[in-house]
Parts: sequence; C-alpha cells; structure tokens
Amino acid sequence: MTTLAVVVVLGVVFRKAGGALVWYDEVASILLAWLTYYASSLAALKRSHIGFPKLVEAAGPRLRLGLVVFREFVVVGFFVLVAWTGWRIVQVLEGTYLVSLPWMPAQVAQSVIPIGAVLFVIAELVSAVDVLGKSRSIEERAGGEKPSGSQQR
Amino acid sequence: MTILLLLLGLIVLILLDIPIAVALGVVAVVAMGISGGADVLVNTGLVLYSGATKFSLIAIPLFILAGAIMNASGISRRLIAFASSLIGFVKGGLAMVTIGASLFFAEISGSAVADVAALGSILIPAMKRKGYPTAFAAAVTSSAATLAVIIPPSIPMILYGVMSGSSVVELFVAGIVPGVLGAVMMMGVTYYLSVKHNYPVEEEFEWPKVGSTFKDAGWALLLPVIILGGIFGGWVTATEGAGLAVVAAMVIGGLIYRGLDLTQLRAAMLEGGTQTAIVMLLVATSALMSDYLTSIQVPQMVAQSIVGLTDNPYLVLALLNVFFLVIGMFLHSAAAIILVVPIVMPLVHAVGIDPVHFGLVVTLNLGIGQQTPPVASVLVTACSIAKADIWEVSKVNVYFVGVLLTVLLLVTYVPAIPMALVELFYR
Repeated sequence: MTTLAVVVVLGVVFRKAGGALVWYDEVASILLAWLTYYASSLAALKRSHIGFPKLVEAAGPRLRLGLVVFREFVVVGFFVLVAWTGWRIVQVLEGTYLVSLPWMPAQVAQSVIPIGAVLFVIAELVSAVDVLGKSRSIEERAGGEKPSGSQQR
Repeated sequence: MTILLLLLGLIVLILLDIPIAVALGVVAVVAMGISGGADVLVNTGLVLYSGATKFSLIAIPLFILAGAIMNASGISRRLIAFASSLIGFVKGGLAMVTIGASLFFAEISGSAVADVAALGSILIPAMKRKGYPTAFAAAVTSSAATLAVIIPPSIPMILYGVMSGSSVVELFVAGIVPGVLGAVMMMGVTYYLSVKHNYPVEEEFEWPKVGSTFKDAGWALLLPVIILGGIFGGWVTATEGAGLAVVAAMVIGGLIYRGLDLTQLRAAMLEGGTQTAIVMLLVATSALMSDYLTSIQVPQMVAQSIVGLTDNPYLVLALLNVFFLVIGMFLHSAAAIILVVPIVMPLVHAVGIDPVHFGLVVTLNLGIGQQTPPVASVLVTACSIAKADIWEVSKVNVYFVGVLLTVLLLVTYVPAIPMALVELFYR
C-alpha cells in the first residue's frame, strides 16, 4: 500500500513538473493486482471474505460440518483452477515485456495469479483446520448431549 | 432460462457460505465451460489479472491508508473536541457531537465501518458514562457513520463510478448536499429524542474554547480542503487526490501532530490491505461473470424487459430503490454494487436517468443497508463496541434509518438536491 502511494504521488509530482512518468499507470495497476491477490490470502486466513454465513451457522451440527467441507471443496477447487490457468498464461507470456518498462518480463507481473492462488489455497486449508475442528467439536458436544438427554427421559 | 440458472446457482452458493467473490467466479467458470468448452477456461487467469488492474480503483487502498494514518495520529480526539466546542451546548450534546464529528471524519475517510470504529470506540463509552441508554448511543453512532459513504471521498462511489463508467469527481460533488442534509436531519431527530428523554448538555458554548479546539484540529480540518479542493478544482484526479491524501496525512499526523502510533498504524495498514483485497477480489471475479453476461447480452435483456413494462424514470427509480434496499439488507455494499450495477446500467440509460444521480440513489440505498439486519456491517460494529443487542439498537435506530430514507426519497425525486452543484460546476 505504501509503495502504491509513493508511485501515485511520484506520478502527480512528475506530471505537474512537466515530465510525466511513462511507467506510472502501468506499475500502479500491477501493484494494485499484487495487493489484491497477496492480501486476499491474508483475508482467507482470517476468513474475512464477504459471505453470508447465517444459514450455515443456523444448521444442525452434522449438516454444518458437511456444509463446511463442501465450502472448502468449492473454494480450493476454484483456486486450483485459477493457479493452473494463471500458470498457463505465465508460460505463454515468455519473451514478452511490459509496455512502459521494456526490461521487465510480463511474466513477473502476471505471476501474481498462480502464486496468489496457491497462497490462497494454503491459507484456506490452514484456516479450514480451525473451522473444521470447531464444527466437529460442536457435533461431538451435540452428540454427547443427546444420549444424556434421553437418559433423563 | 440461462439467466435464471445462473442466478439460482449464485444464490445457492452464497447461501452455502461460499465467499461471494468465489461464488461469482465458480458460476461464471461453470457457465463458460458449459457454453464454450474447457478451452475457454484458460482465459480465467488472464481475466482475473486484468480485472484487478483497474487504475481508478487504486483510490480505494489509498483513501483507506490515509484514514488509517490520520486515525493513528489521534485525529479522532481532536475532531471530537472541536465538534464538542461547537455543538456540545445543545440538549443531547454528546450525541450531537457524534454526528458533527462523523461529518468531519467523513471528509477524510470513505468508509462507514472505519468511521464507526474510529469514533464509536471513543464516543459510545463516553455517552454510556454520561447516562445515555446504550442502544441510543450505538444507534446514533452507527447511523451518523453512514455519512462517510455519502460525503466525499466515498469508497462505494469510487466503485460505482468504475462499474458504471461515471465520473467519480461528479459523484463526489453530488454527495455533498445530501450528506450535509442527512447530518442536519439526524441532529434534528437527536434533539427531539434528547428533549423527550432529558439527555444532558455536554458543555457551555464559549468562543475561546471554539478557537482553541479549532487551532488544535485545524490541520486535520485542512486535510479535506487539500484533498477535495485538489480533486474538485481539477488539479488532480480522484486517484491522485487519494495519493496526496496519504502524503498530507503523513505530514500532518507524523510531522505536525507528532502523534503517529506506529503499532496502531501497522495494524491499521494490515487491516486496510485486507479490506482492499476483499473488495478487489470481488471486482476481479465479477470481471469473469461480467464477460459471460455481456456475451449473452443479459444487461440488454433486463433493460428491454423492464422498459417493456414502463419507461417512466420515476417508476423505474422506485423499482430500483426497492430492489437495492432489499439487496442492501443481505449484501455488503461493495458486493451489491459490483453484482448489480453493470446489469442495471443499460436500463438506467434507456429511461434517461443521469448515471451520477443514480449513483447517489445506489449509495444511499446501500448506506441504509449498512443499518438494517441481518447483514448490517456498520450497525454490527457499533453494537460490538457498545456491547449491545442488535435488535434493541435497531428499535432506536428506526428514527435514524427514517432520516436516511427521507434523504433517499428527496435525492430520488428531487434530482436538484444531488445534481445542482454538479450542473453548476461540471456541465
């Protein structure tokens, strides 16, 4: 974020000084993409991505466990696909360079997609261990309470 | 039929707690795979990359960073002191101060959640200590924070501008009058409730106190003048203005106030980066969906079917108001803008509604959505600070949501309210 701010400010200063930086727009856009995908993994680790958890939270313990597993399957599956297609694009871009910075391979900019997707999968799986653990303990507690309830009856 | 299946798939995935950004991507990828075969999917990585490189959206992390720097340098305390010296003498003074400080803070921060977190953590406990009911303290802080998305700079407006192809600067200008109107009306409601329940006065009005608190908060008050003056004056673009906001915040917070708490700043930057990524991932995956919807001409079909029923802009605005109010109750504002705006824009153009005017209507609707459960991000933050039950707070918040609804109706049906300044300076 700080680098992004520095690049934008440099862009304004140089433009006002009459010597616009040709790489300013392209580099700032690349930094935004990097911020998006790398910080997305952090958000996945914190389970902060916008969702609608109300229904799953309201589900019974066993159904909830199943839904959590399904969620992980879908999210990880999607990002595995993204990593694969991102890697294919990086391979295709071999030998091409950025328009405004002709010495920088386009592969460096685009590498954020496969790397970011792999990081997302890792973050999702790490945080899933916690979530699945919680769901399982809820199920075990519910399973444990049921027999004691029937004994009382 | 295809549209129905897409919508159904999306709703099911969202209800199953798949993050909305991922749900959008999954539905788009499945639809593209079915219609174009596996070869089409190779483009997924490319579209996701280009979707995250929209230059205008760079303003979002920069405004978040500027707000984080200013907050970490103790700006909230200075703004509260200044607002208190100005309006603390009125009945229900501290609640009035909350609205006044939110008005000032809104000119620096573009996020209502940031606003409620920064001011609520100081003002809600203060109101509780002074004997205000907890539910009232949480409600007034929560609703006043919504001013942050109406008054420029506003993150939802930046998003809307990019998704609709409208001028972000014009949207910012259009938000000024409705934002100030909302603040004044909220103060009116607060005064009525304060007289009714005999809430206390905060402090006597004294000119020397106004002078000293103004001097203390002067630099903080200068910040929006620099940012918005630069943007409105055409000296910098909205994105460049956001970059200047970061520099100005560093200079004012670090060099002038010398109060930059680096630990707090680091935490705020991490949080800001995460918030940016959450919104931007939505933008990126929505590019996949948008590519597919455009290829099968869904936005045009939606426009044609509604124009077939009515082409009266006021009726269409009424329909869209109801739609956005409902959507806002269930979706985060960024998600709602990214999902819905590209689909309804051809309709908005077809019936002759000004896209900037419509932008204000959308922003206000989604601002109200931040106050209405079940998904009420700002209200939930206020309740969590106040340690109050969301339903108890909602009962009091009805008064303030009423104010926001009134502003929405005025903005919708008296276009001069948002558009007069735009027409005066930009058309």
